[in-house]
Amino acid sequence: MELTILGLSFLGLLVLGVPVAFAIGLSSVATILYAGLPTAVVFQKMVGGMQVFSFLAIPFFIFAGELMLYGGIADRIVRFANSLVGHVRGGLGMSNVVGCTLFGGVAGSPLADVSAMGSVMIPLMKKEGYHADYAVNVTTHAALVGALMPTSHNIIIFTLATTGIASVSILGLIVACLIPALILTICNLGAAYWVAVRRGYPTRGDFAGWHEVARAFAAALPGLLVILIILGGILSGVFTATESAATAVLWALIVTSLVYRTLTWKDFLKACAKACKTTGVVLLLIGISAAFGYFMALYEVPQKTGALMASVTQEPWLIFLMVNVLLFLLGTFLDMAATILICTPIFLPICVQYGMHPAQFGVMMLINCALGLNTPPVGTTQFVGCAIGGVSVGQVMRTIWPFYGALIVCLMLVTYVPAFSMWLPQLVLK
Amino acid sequence: MDGFTRVCAWLSRLSLVVAVLLLLAVIACVQWQVIGRYVFNDTPTWAEALAMLLVLYMTSLAVAVGVRDAGHIGLESLIVLLPERFRLKLEVLIHLLVGVFGFLMAKAGWLWATMKWNEKKPMLGVPEGADYVPLVVAGALIVLFCAEHIVALLRGIEVEPAWN
Amino acid sequence: TEFRSSDVHNSDDYPTVAAVKHMSDLLKQATGGKHSIKVFNKGALGSEKETIDQTKIGALDFTRVNISPMNAICSKTMVPTMPFLFRSVDHMRKVLDGPVGEEILKDCEQHGFVGLAFYDSGARSIYGKKPVKTLADTKGMKIRVQQSDLWVALVSAMGANATPMPIGEVYTGLKTGLIDAAENNVPSYDGFKHYEAVKFYSRTEHSMAPEMLLMSKVVYDKLTPAEQQAIRKAAKESVAFQRKKWDEQEAKSLAVVKGGGAEIVEVDKATFEKAMGPVYDKFITTPDLKRLVKAVQDTK
Ligand code: NA
Ligand code: NA
Repeated sequence: MELTILGLSFLGLLVLGVPVAFAIGLSSVATILYAGLPTAVVFQKMVGGMQVFSFLAIPFFIFAGELMLYGGIADRIVRFANSLVGHVRGGLGMSNVVGCTLFGGVAGSPLADVSAMGSVMIPLMKKEGYHADYAVNVTTHAALVGALMPTSHNIIIFTLATTGIASVSILGLIVACLIPALILTICNLGAAYWVAVRRGYPTRGDFAGWHEVARAFAAALPGLLVILIILGGILSGVFTATESAATAVLWALIVTSLVYRTLTWKDFLKACAKACKTTGVVLLLIGISAAFGYFMALYEVPQKTGALMASVTQEPWLIFLMVNVLLFLLGTFLDMAATILICTPIFLPICVQYGMHPAQFGVMMLINCALGLNTPPVGTTQFVGCAIGGVSVGQVMRTIWPFYGALIVCLMLVTYVPAFSMWLPQLVLK
Repeated sequence: MDGFTRVCAWLSRLSLVVAVLLLLAVIACVQWQVIGRYVFNDTPTWAEALAMLLVLYMTSLAVAVGVRDAGHIGLESLIVLLPERFRLKLEVLIHLLVGVFGFLMAKAGWLWATMKWNEKKPMLGVPEGADYVPLVVAGALIVLFCAEHIVALLRGIEVEPAWN
Repeated sequence: TEFRSSDVHNSDDYPTVAAVKHMSDLLKQATGGKHSIKVFNKGALGSEKETIDQTKIGALDFTRVNISPMNAICSKTMVPTMPFLFRSVDHMRKVLDGPVGEEILKDCEQHGFVGLAFYDSGARSIYGKKPVKTLADTKGMKIRVQQSDLWVALVSAMGANATPMPIGEVYTGLKTGLIDAAENNVPSYDGFKHYEAVKFYSRTEHSMAPEMLLMSKVVYDKLTPAEQQAIRKAAKESVAFQRKKWDEQEAKSLAVVKGGGAEIVEVDKATFEKAMGPVYDKFITTPDLKRLVKAVQDTK
């Protein structure tokens, strides 16, 4: 009964047009009132959901992205990207995919990725004549690769969730994710190109030659260095992901105000204000989702689902498919970390029992949960993308199918071809 | 512009200015942590705790500003389909609901803040209840801004964002 | 009633999780099936700090937490956390089963909690990429600690650079060298897979901070005296079960980390013990706390 109230009130409020975060909050309040528990718990979970140190990277990357956008870094990166792939149809979309992948490797979080790259790329793509929905979809999907990159904290979360069920080493999972990350990038490139061709996005003249590429690269280098600083900083142990994000802000400030000298005081204030507002939207949603997750756990939604599934079929490929579909459905509502922590203990034993390697399951789960970041009603990456692009979720959903298609192709390859995830770890980690 | 609107606009602008200052302070905290660890080999233990506390204040103020500027994301599908007079009623209802949430937020924030005022926060020494003060402030601001929106809707005017 | 209890450990068979489930069985028997306890582990209902607060306002019936997050709420809980206070596991068990343990549990009541039992959490030691043998080895070392004043003071007293960090970031931090070491019991060294990142587990055994089982006073006061007694009794009876499980878990984890290439280093503990004066000066400030520390030391 509590779950019915939670689900129906949430959907009702959503359809009315109440902003998503408040719809989640109000339906949580309604549910907790019915259950006879103190409403204060909803707000405690909200505060707890916001107070995660690694989430600080979100406002930082949003801020750094805003500074790069107003301060001319983005223009130079785009000139470089254009010199490289601009002559291909939909070139800016393609370089967006590559840029997001690189940046995802740095941030290890789709949310940080979309915050940083989205803030730069989405407005620029709009300026260059691309539709907002395309710009948002390309960015939000390319950003998902971040969940598979070596710095992904979700990898750590997964290996923790396997404790007591199976032995998956963090390093093993990191290596297992590398090839799937590459496949996902290729799928994303394919989708971006396909849509660009169908919509007839412009090509921008001929390839200007390697000389021009080198010149554009030199101009963009101070900006691109931020990636090196972050990646090098984390890998060498100079700072944590969160600290690297704060350093990115500092670096962006130095480059835009001292190196390029393009950031005006007015632009700086604008960037500050925009970063604060976007952060408010995003962190409220993350915080209040924690309240939602509380009810999911309290009323054992995933556990009940797991038991039901085991009674339906015994066929491995069907089981795997069902696990994927259920993960997808839960991922529409739940935050990535919550899905991993709650679902791993249920689905991992079933999949292992039917012959899947735990690390392969991990990759599959990460991709699936990443997909959930781009599905309404609770899709944090998608929300950030929409907020930056100034479009509604509905507009974006209408043209999202090629991008979902790319993700699903990658997901199926990982689910049914063990070699994609298991070959490299077996080769490297003897 | 009448007095009520002027007060709301001023509060919204103030909130945003404070939020920006807090954001800069949070960045400074995290940077100081890195400097302390390497330059002085003495990690400032308060830095992370302070950053986590300040980010709550920053986010809460930004959330309230977002309510006034209509920055929060929703599915507007149904509203655009409705005839004008229903649309107005629905928009009033939405602001009413958001206002109710703001009220509950302030109330819960008050409960936790008072309950946890005597517990000391590790690393900082400030009351644990300080975590929940921003809920009270932001909740009250949300109620106020929703009221402003409802008044504006009934009078057929738009609420201008305070600072872009 | 089916009461709700929380736990942050992931494994459904973790000693504290299993113990509360065992307590539920005992309670069911004692009340003819009327009452039982459902355990929500994996931190499903929140962090230890959050579930403590939920328990206080009666949103949650029981919570099983480490004693550290209670330090800020109920000062007497600091005593069993103090470094090098217990001479051995047996000494610790004897103290917590005796009048000192009772007094600390009782003290929680004025803050809204019924303290039901202490569970074992073993001894915490330092692990890193370098072995630690004497106090000189920890000098200047970046050691990760929990966000707690007491833990920062403890590690600082070792001459190390105390670095507070959430547990989730510790693995990467150890791997990349952001921190030199962390400190925890063997099952956590195993469970969080930190033995994959750093190989030297040095038995400093600097603290034996136990786990606690707390009940909401709001919920407790609504029960009949007979029911209250049944709960207290079942909780006390689950302690022996938990300790047996704990010893098994520790042996199992020790085998896992050794199998993973970890080396167990013996430590000259006396050099560390002598350095702990400042920690006691800073936290054992009231006559009550001083009396309790003395009582622990006098327990033979
Ligand atoms: Na990360
Ligand atoms: Na989703």
